[in-house]
Amino acid sequence: MAASVLQRCLGAVKVIHKCGTYSFIDRRCLLSAAYTDTKLWEEREKDHQNLSLMAALMDRIYDRNFPVSSLTISRFVDNISSREEVDQAEYYLYKFRHSPNCWYLRDWTVHSWVRQCLRYGARDKALHTLKNKVQYGMFPDDFTFNLLIDSFIKNEDFKGACSVVEEVMLQESFNLLTTQILSMYALSSYLATKPELSVSEQRTLGAALLICGLKQDNSTGLSAQLLGCALLGKVEMAAGIHAVFRGMPLMWTPGYLGRALAIMERVAATPGDSKLSKDAVDYLEGLLQDLSSALDSKSSSGEDELGGEEEGKKEEDEDDQAEREKLPLYASRFKELSGQLQSGGKVDPSPLQVLVSSLVQQGLASAEGPDMEQYQRKVGEWEAERQQLIRREKEMRERAEEERQARQAAKAAAQ
Amino acid sequence: MVKKKRIRLIAEMARKIRAYRELKNRPRESEKYALDYDTMTRPHTRKTLPVLAWQDVRRESRLFSLLSGLRMFGVGHLFTRKSWLTEHPEAPSYWQVTKVKVDYTAEKMTKSPLCVLLFSTGKQESEPKEMDKVMYHDWRLVPKHEEEQFKLYNPVPEPPIRYVSYPPLLRAMLLAQRQKDELGSAAEEPTLPLKRDVLLSKEYFRSQEKKRERQEGTAV
Repeated sequence: MAASVLQRCLGAVKVIHKCGTYSFIDRRCLLSAAYTDTKLWEEREKDHQNLSLMAALMDRIYDRNFPVSSLTISRFVDNISSREEVDQAEYYLYKFRHSPNCWYLRDWTVHSWVRQCLRYGARDKALHTLKNKVQYGMFPDDFTFNLLIDSFIKNEDFKGACSVVEEVMLQESFNLLTTQILSMYALSSYLATKPELSVSEQRTLGAALLICGLKQDNSTGLSAQLLGCALLGKVEMAAGIHAVFRGMPLMWTPGYLGRALAIMERVAATPGDSKLSKDAVDYLEGLLQDLSSALDSKSSSGEDELGGEEEGKKEEDEDDQAEREKLPLYASRFKELSGQLQSGGKVDPSPLQVLVSSLVQQGLASAEGPDMEQYQRKVGEWEAERQQLIRREKEMRERAEEERQARQAAKAAAQ
Repeated sequence: MVKKKRIRLIAEMARKIRAYRELKNRPRESEKYALDYDTMTRPHTRKTLPVLAWQDVRRESRLFSLLSGLRMFGVGHLFTRKSWLTEHPEAPSYWQVTKVKVDYTAEKMTKSPLCVLLFSTGKQESEPKEMDKVMYHDWRLVPKHEEEQFKLYNPVPEPPIRYVSYPPLLRAMLLAQRQKDELGSAAEEPTLPLKRDVLLSKEYFRSQEKKRERQEGTAV
């Protein structure tokens, strides 16, 4: 009780000092302490069970090829009390997913699994189950995603935070404003560290930036869209359009660089306050230059190795070749558009991260309110459902007991 | 004359047991359609896929792999096939998933047939139907932010059906029949519509058979 009050005070202090004292705070938490408070979750009625008994019960049920009920698995996850039990629970989640009841994995089970993982410091476990969501069936809802991203950001693990954002993108669940702000923060912080990106990483980052930016209608969103399209265009030029949209919720029509230029055009044309961040524009410029120089050098040296390259060329699609031919067009159009943007004063000199931070300060606190109310409502609903399941299980057990008694009595009477 | 045929009861029983075992052990869809991507062979039948399909198999994905990564197995999402995109470029054709049946035993969570609503070349089917060709490496997910634009479609109005006169012999027979039925030559000449108004499919033939049965009555 006292600890949570202290946490709230500290949280309030942190929120006030967020504007100036950037470097004073060691651990920057974005979500307020009230949001990440576990009090509401722990106030639920506890259903204490012995974990080893439950494990033995589940093993027996699986041996007999009966389906395990969702209530059993949720009880198991609720009663985790140490790190080793987290591993055991992971195993049972895997088995549940491969049982006939896999559809019925409840939302509250997933939520409590993530909470338990965070409590016992098993963040990488949570990330592992999330990444293999096909095998574990983890589809967290928005609130849970927010908690997870926030805990990664708190520990300055931006790469992990970006992996979570990638999962959010694959689910296309950027519905809440808080999720959008948190993901943008994670992505921009990760990009600010200027990491070496492999092709697949570029693809996922680009896609996440694009889809997250589509939901926001301000300069941050537009800059994110531009950067996302630029990254995707780079992958498209390097590996073809199929490598871009395979396994991602992205459109398959080729021409991502063209889309990036269309965004610039739109920003230049609309009279509004929306601006594009300078580093996004610079990135696109650098990218176009790299690509055109690479293409030039390839075409000049290509005439020598025509025989060996013919095999490789046949694999390229006609669409991809058409894209490459459009590259000089793109470069010239980019020059005129960036000129337009500069003259229209639409280029924001601050980097993307600063834009995102300002967004965080303005929007996050107010966006958290409705989120928390919805969460409270949802917890109430989950509780009601859980109690109903417990009651139903009790009734079924009583009925089975009665039938067994009746059968025994009948057998005794027959003898 | 001919010796009476011996009734071999045990052989009958063995046949029934073999049929039952075959039914129980029939390969799951996941095993039947499993594919080794390196050598492009199916481990179940050890047959290789045709070469023209290799590029598609490498680049596209099956519906199972798309659905398993989505919440609630992708209910409510739209899925298109690459072959439809090339076949009907203007008119959007897609399935919208309403129900999924899951085969949980397979390692990669195969789905059994689903019930979905089909929009084909801009027209919607009336009832949810089972999706076919689910295991083809041909499917694409329509992203949510592109759904609206994808569904946009201005149907071009179809030109009216043209009619043509019957071939001469058939025409003569029809007219003779008409005269016999005393319709007289005042009635219109019968014409042949150039567009078939009935789609010849399994359901059509089955409904025709049922209609015939109803009229004739089943065989005694």
